[in-house]
Amino acid sequence: MTPSTYRWSGGSEAMLRFGPTTGPVVIAAMPLFEEANRTRSFIVAILRALAERGIGSALPDLPGTGDSLTETEHATLSNWQEAFSGCAMTLGRDRIHAFGVRGGTLLDATAAIASRYHFAPIDGNAVVRDLLRTRLAAAKEDGVPADAGTIAPPGPPITLAGNRISRQLLADLTVAAPSTVGPCRIARLDSDGRPGDVKFPGAPLWRRAEPGNDPALAVLIADDIAASIATCAA
Amino acid sequence: MLPDDIDQIDATVRAVLRDVLGLSQERVDAFRSETPLFGALPELDSMAVAGLLTELEERLGVLIEDDEVDGEMLETFGALVRFASGKAVG
Repeated sequence: MTPSTYRWSGGSEAMLRFGPTTGPVVIAAMPLFEEANRTRSFIVAILRALAERGIGSALPDLPGTGDSLTETEHATLSNWQEAFSGCAMTLGRDRIHAFGVRGGTLLDATAAIASRYHFAPIDGNAVVRDLLRTRLAAAKEDGVPADAGTIAPPGPPITLAGNRISRQLLADLTVAAPSTVGPCRIARLDSDGRPGDVKFPGAPLWRRAEPGNDPALAVLIADDIAASIATCAA
Repeated sequence: MLPDDIDQIDATVRAVLRDVLGLSQERVDAFRSETPLFGALPELDSMAVAGLLTELEERLGVLIEDDEVDGEMLETFGALVRFASGKAVG
């Protein structure tokens, strides 16, 4: 695991690099907001397993997330997509593959990549719904009324599940869906009734209050990503 | 509703409680209709309720409106299964 930086149109951000620096490379996009904390060690486990299979990867901090100096409230969906594209350009390889989890699958839409691998993808509306529901539940507990209708721009950022989020980001997410252009493989959990190319046994770590990991599932997914990259190369 | 459907929903609600709250399979297997949930399970706070509802929606393919959510449906395991069954056939 090597710390590094990448450049994008709005500045530069940190990224972690795993595995070999030649050959195909995977750029990982974590789930959005609180779900990122709950799945970080799981995603790192997948990237380490990919490294053992000879596939390098990058885990970029997006503007307003991780160690970024940008405030979360200044993050926008187009910033995130441009940063993801910038990360791909910084890596400058021929064969770049996107790996997105949950809301992270919304970020690779504009990047120059050879293929997409989406695990448990959701559309942006589901991300926003989840955030609002958390606020409604917390408000109910505190006895404070919360009005889900007052999130539209313009106006100040809104605090949802511990993040100050711009109204424009919420509005853009509401209409965003994962891109399925080009070679795209969709993986889901067995418990997920929606269609997918492959289903894996496991629990949704992004729902757990305590960050967890699932090494067995991480290996299954890494094997499947490696196989789909091999198919792309063939 | 067929008994098979009810068994299926019962199993789905147990699995969602296990996965969202991080409970063991043995623990959720031991839930009976009258087993108290909200207020009795320390893992089930308001944030977990939000995750629980969303996960139920995703697995049962239903939509739960926020104004349908009250203390009663989360009072016992049986009440939650009844609520989920009502949504699944509605």
